[in-house]
Amino acid sequence: MKTTQTIFEDGTHKWTAIVRDPAKPDYLIDTNEYLVQHAGQGLLLDPGGAEIFPAVFSALSAEFDPSKLTGIFASHQDPDIISSLALWLEFNPQMKCYISWLWESFIPHFGGTAETFVALPDEGAGISLAGLPLQAIPAHYLHSAGNLHLYDKQAKILFSGDVGAALLPPDKQGVFVEDFSSHIRHAEAFHRRWMASNEAKRQWCERASHLKIDMLCPQHGAVYQGDDVQRFINWFDELHVGVIRV
Amino acid sequence: MTAELTTSQWHGSGNGTSGAALDLLRIVRINEEIKRVVAVAFKINIMALNAIFLAKRAGNAALGFGVLSNELRVFSKDLRESMISLTRLIHDLVAEVSVVLQESRQDALFRRTLAQCSGNPMLDSVLERRNAQHDSRAQRISGLRRSLRLAVDDAARLVELGGVLAKSAKIEAAYGAGFASSLGQVSGEFDGVVEEIRSSLEILRRSKFFGGSA
Repeated sequence: MKTTQTIFEDGTHKWTAIVRDPAKPDYLIDTNEYLVQHAGQGLLLDPGGAEIFPAVFSALSAEFDPSKLTGIFASHQDPDIISSLALWLEFNPQMKCYISWLWESFIPHFGGTAETFVALPDEGAGISLAGLPLQAIPAHYLHSAGNLHLYDKQAKILFSGDVGAALLPPDKQGVFVEDFSSHIRHAEAFHRRWMASNEAKRQWCERASHLKIDMLCPQHGAVYQGDDVQRFINWFDELHVGVIRV
Repeated sequence: MTAELTTSQWHGSGNGTSGAALDLLRIVRINEEIKRVVAVAFKINIMALNAIFLAKRAGNAALGFGVLSNELRVFSKDLRESMISLTRLIHDLVAEVSVVLQESRQDALFRRTLAQCSGNPMLDSVLERRNAQHDSRAQRISGLRRSLRLAVDDAARLVELGGVLAKSAKIEAAYGAGFASSLGQVSGEFDGVVEEIRSSLEILRRSKFFGGSA
């Protein structure tokens, strides 16, 4: 079973990271899921693949009533992001799934109906969680052609999907980045290969630099906090991506 | 033993091929056999048309043969219609069994979830609802399976009639005077083709999908 860790709490406003499952088979990539709660409602960010649904559901339900999940935010269309959609919808068929418009007709292959999906435009959009304003931020081509991140201005948290992801070795399983320079070695190859466009990366770094971010939460690896957030943005800005030599 | 979907078949064994996957495989084989019968039925139509021309040339000596050849054309048309209704049933079964396959994977995931957090009332209610849906789907599949079996039996009865027509054509060929040899050859071909269809239908009737051994 995965473990949960509260990474932000202010009254009913709460961010919970759902991380690390020791029982997960090695052939599945490890993923982080995040639950944003506000005034009794919940939004699940990148709920994960169908195969890890049991681990995510049991960890989440220990913390939160799954029937109070009103939405799912999918940063992009990959199976490790959203292939569990049909299973989550069993608990609340009215649940909304927020996605880039680009994937509006692709993700229904994982489940849901026309009413399930809220297609977000390329420039992003506001999402309200029981009155809490959240902002979908463009991150296209990082890595997916229709990619969005989610910013919580009040918590100063940016959910950054695959940006900031690291494929960590078994002895580096902490929820937070502890030593940036050693951590980033596990992120470099991933970013070089998965991130598709230097131009898109430049735009994202510019955009992220203008946000007040205390925590940058990727879908794989560890959470960047404090000064490590800007360190990461600077590092990413200088990294040459989208190149493959064969 | 009848081949109904049991709960364990619905859920699949977890390793190896599940009951639904086996059913789908059997349905695919049944469909291949139906396609074979359709092709043969088309062949009878052409053969019967040629036989009608041959009977015309033979004149009065082959009047009976001509009538039987016409009947064999009608038989070919009826057989093709019968196969079309079988194909429709197959299509419906494939749709239902495919959903079972998809849902059995989800069920396996829900069972794993239940093992990790048993006693969760929401999970219990989802599983209860899904089980009710499974029951109603299993009933639909069972109904389709029965309809398919009945349709195969109807087709088999039709083929018995085709067999009688082919045998009668053989007898009539003997009265074909100078054309007796040609008419005999054609009626022999009819007989062979009807046997081919009979054997295909026998394979269908013995399918494990209907609780048989094939």
